[in-house]
Amino acid sequence: MGALNYAARIELSKGAEDNGLAGMVASLILQNLQDKPQKRVDFAKMRGRVAIVAEDARVAMTLEFQGNMLTVHDGIVGVPDVTVRAQSEDIIQMSLVELTPRLALPDFRGPALKEIMAKSRSGAIHVFGALTNFPLVFRLTRLLSVN
Amino acid sequence: MAYSFPSDPWAAAYKVAINGNPKYATAGKDWTHGAVALLVKSDETIGIGADMAVLLDVHAGVCNAATYMTGEQAREKAPFVVEGPYDNWKKLIVENQDPIKALMQGKLKLTKGHLPTIIRYVESSKQLLASAQTVDTAFLR
Repeated sequence: MGALNYAARIELSKGAEDNGLAGMVASLILQNLQDKPQKRVDFAKMRGRVAIVAEDARVAMTLEFQGNMLTVHDGIVGVPDVTVRAQSEDIIQMSLVELTPRLALPDFRGPALKEIMAKSRSGAIHVFGALTNFPLVFRLTRLLSVN
Repeated sequence: MAYSFPSDPWAAAYKVAINGNPKYATAGKDWTHGAVALLVKSDETIGIGADMAVLLDVHAGVCNAATYMTGEQAREKAPFVVEGPYDNWKKLIVENQDPIKALMQGKLKLTKGHLPTIIRYVESSKQLLASAQTVDTAFLR
């Protein structure tokens, strides 16, 4: 898997080039895959659509995972399996989730995840479809985390 | 006295503002990743004939220098370059907009640099912007 050219496996669809959120998430995923080879295992197993909406910025995007391939779309495209609605700074916070050292599981003692959980409980962050698509959400969390 | 944005005097005043911001000193204390260039795209209608930038030599919560230079020079020298049109920089400074939101909206773009590193220092970016807001600035339009 290390030999794959990840830059060629993450594609911005037409219109997504001008979507700042789409560009940021695509480059975050690419740089994480390049920096941290262990994340490539998750990337290879991911299938499904994840919509992310930055409500305050009024920007939306869709990640279409097809097992080792990712297409990033402007807006909500198709029927998302998971939809995340949050403020822009909370979306950034999601990429700061701490992972445990050995198993790279989301660390519930970490301040970033604690804050996200608190905001989810208060309704400031909505994640629709998380329970029925737990593996996708779990892998996405690890893939997006800069840790 | 208002300093024209962007210019040498504005860059000098910005350096003073950054170093006078205790929140930046705290948020940026672990930043050891090199200079950050804030690049204004060329705009003939206001007399900016080429891309211009303010290169911030920031390290460990201190701004050692803020240098006004061409965009080309800044792209060569800085490991991190954030670019945007003049009016978007103006809005960001005047209206106290969130820089992360501006990036998500595509109003600014990180055209050079490691995004995961920038994300770890979001508060530092916000405080750099907050510092810019304290500079008495005259805009070209």
